[in-house]
Amino acid sequence: MKRLTVKEPPVIITPSAGDTVFPETARLSNGVPVYLLGKGAVDLLRIEFVFNAGQSMEKVHMAASTANAMLTEGTTKHDAVTINDLIDSTGAMLNHTAEKETASLVMITLSRKLEEVTALAEEVLFHPSFPETEFRMLIDKRVQSFLTSRQKTSVIGREEFYRALCGNDNPYGRVTKLDDYRALTTSATAEFHSLFYKPDNMYITVAGHDPEQALPVLEKYFSGYGTGTWHEPEIPRFVFETARPGRIFSEVSNSVQSAVRLGWKGITRDHPDYQGLQVASMILGGYFGSRLMRNIREEKGYTYGINSLVGAFHGIGYIVIITEVANGYREETIREIKKEINGLCMNEVSSDELNIVRNHFMGEIARMFDGPFNRAETIRSIIDYNCGHDYFSRFVDTVKTITPGKIKELFNTYFIVDNAFEIIAGAK
Amino acid sequence: MIEFERHILANGLKVIAHYDDSTPMVTTNLLYDTGSRDEDPEATGFAHLFEHLMFEGSDHVPVFDTPVMLAGGENNAFTNNDITNYYITLPANNLEIALWLESDRMVGLDLSEDRLKNQKSVVTEEFRQRYLNQPYGDLLLLLRPLAYKVHPYMWSAIGKDISHIEKAGSDRVRQFYQKHYTPSSAILSIAGSSKPEDVFRMAEKWFGDLPSSEKVVRLLPQEPPQKERREVTVYRDVPAAQLIMAFHTGGRESRDFYILDLLTDILSGCDSGRFPSLLVRKMELFSEADIYLSGEIDPGLVIFSGRLKNGTDIRKAEAAVINELNTLASEPVTAAELDKARNRYESIRLLSYLSASNKAFNLAFHELLGDANGINTEIERYMSVTAGEIIDSSSRTFTPENCNVIYYLPETK
Repeated sequence: MKRLTVKEPPVIITPSAGDTVFPETARLSNGVPVYLLGKGAVDLLRIEFVFNAGQSMEKVHMAASTANAMLTEGTTKHDAVTINDLIDSTGAMLNHTAEKETASLVMITLSRKLEEVTALAEEVLFHPSFPETEFRMLIDKRVQSFLTSRQKTSVIGREEFYRALCGNDNPYGRVTKLDDYRALTTSATAEFHSLFYKPDNMYITVAGHDPEQALPVLEKYFSGYGTGTWHEPEIPRFVFETARPGRIFSEVSNSVQSAVRLGWKGITRDHPDYQGLQVASMILGGYFGSRLMRNIREEKGYTYGINSLVGAFHGIGYIVIITEVANGYREETIREIKKEINGLCMNEVSSDELNIVRNHFMGEIARMFDGPFNRAETIRSIIDYNCGHDYFSRFVDTVKTITPGKIKELFNTYFIVDNAFEIIAGAK
Repeated sequence: MIEFERHILANGLKVIAHYDDSTPMVTTNLLYDTGSRDEDPEATGFAHLFEHLMFEGSDHVPVFDTPVMLAGGENNAFTNNDITNYYITLPANNLEIALWLESDRMVGLDLSEDRLKNQKSVVTEEFRQRYLNQPYGDLLLLLRPLAYKVHPYMWSAIGKDISHIEKAGSDRVRQFYQKHYTPSSAILSIAGSSKPEDVFRMAEKWFGDLPSSEKVVRLLPQEPPQKERREVTVYRDVPAAQLIMAFHTGGRESRDFYILDLLTDILSGCDSGRFPSLLVRKMELFSEADIYLSGEIDPGLVIFSGRLKNGTDIRKAEAAVINELNTLASEPVTAAELDKARNRYESIRLLSYLSASNKAFNLAFHELLGDANGINTEIERYMSVTAGEIIDSSSRTFTPENCNVIYYLPETK
């Protein structure tokens, strides 16, 4: 089949990141910040309650995720089955997760059910009862998925990387063991909850159609505690015992593929090179046409996918290249990764290649701010990591102005192949 | 209400346009009416292999991704048993870039030996990563050949056997392309802040001069009614047993699809559903218990999938599931349960409308089913489901002779 006429390709219009302005902050009368993200096209509201109650705050391993998971397992007013039935009957979707730095509960509700659902959110957030039976069932389920995860090379590879990076003595690097599940108690979980699920330790985002309508309802249900006590959350400080560079091998018997991670200790978000490093990492392995994808997937066919990632926790940053390859390809894959990095250390990227990455970032940022629900997730990442309200406008500047010379310098500073952790999880 | 306009080009390409100015973006969704059900039983996995090849460049586009990224876009694709679907989301002022790219790979895909050899290798690694290297990863690969004896739904989109991909020759690949990648086999659906008149003008410009070819007539062997229960037991290196029970049901356009879609939401769509409440919390037989529709266009399956709690006897667990399913055939679900499912349907539906790319896909899929306006009329098909219909449908579906069981058990070490 052939096209009947020949045409000039259309001209590409350079994409713009659009509006990245941080939203207005309202406050409840007790000081709780509420960020309003409007202009929703459908009659739904997404309200997220974020607490400074992530894993970084825990003294007992897994207390943060367990306290969060137990929120909907029974309250002082309703047992687990009843509270879930009340929530589900409104048609609302509730999601709650604990992450490294913060923990949250998201509710997505029809506007007409706003008050009903907000009252239920208040009940599960501030009055959970931590019943023993549900706690035991949750732990049993977690033990089962823990045992399943022992056969996943990607999970083992990830754990070993963070342990090498952070050491085993803090919530970022600690590797979970079966005994940890036995050691966890309802009282430790309830204690974590009572310390951190408090209005003086939270903020709220409201996204969707006419978000202002939520303010009086939130005032009614969430201003009655700790009047005037809201404060900037305290950020915990840890001592990190980063392992010495080199090979770390974990055997996962019977696996047909190995997880491979090549990584380094990086920098935190407040470092002047952090945003530039994002650009460097994108060039190396951040998109389908990146150096690593082109070589290791598209030319060699060793893998379904390979990625390069730059990230940071409070107090420590990292750079990591992640892939899964057939056991027989892993040494060759590591050699090729190093070859690609060396290439970027020796030679500047062309302006064509840099332009691809620049434009891609602009599109990415535009999508992150496209619509109130996406914007709510984006501003949460800014708040949780204390990046500064102008993080994305600074990022747009960095992406637009970074030079090939600076990118080469970043590779020479941060991607030193002889200093990498080489994590392999797979068959012997 | 999702407003849209439809325009059919002379070569048979159907174009759907939905205007949504709440986003600066636009999504082009190009659905090809070809999936793994259209494959030769001796050469399975082709539709999916093809999805990979479609990113390997075409006559005027050496690297597909480069213009997408320069235009600030993102793109991807998926293949299932029924369709192969490609989408690009990019700033609306670059819409024409997406149409140029899609038209170029519809007419002049690069099918050189090198490209083919490499993607065969990538797909083999994908097969290993997703199906072999994951605990429980091969469950659906086991279920299909158990439940289907005649219909090509007996294999998964990844293929019956990875050797089919390893053996794929360029002649067969070329034939597949010429047969299925034509304007009359495709639906182009565009949603976002591009005006329909601009959409149609650009679609005419980039697709209007592609030669027409006759649409492939699909003649698939239909699966005869199952006459007796089938079961298979496998042992794997997993920590807990999994029970699968799959029942044949109607196709995507049948009344049973809507009845059972709503029913499965009542049973396990949310934490207060019957299965989590009874089988997990009260009886403590399972750590997870889920039931869902496979959702294919031809008659599909309703699949129960439960991970057993350690120490539960699998026959006892199975009996409890059967007991629950039998109850559905005799006692009506409550008004509260129906009401809950309807409220949830409303929220989930609105949530999916927040994204232009979801709307673009759903319009294309409904057009494939017969009319893009199905996106608007479908709600009535759900809301009108009655408790009586649920009894009727359950009593026909959840019968012993219609059941396919997999006992997926831990190896005894």
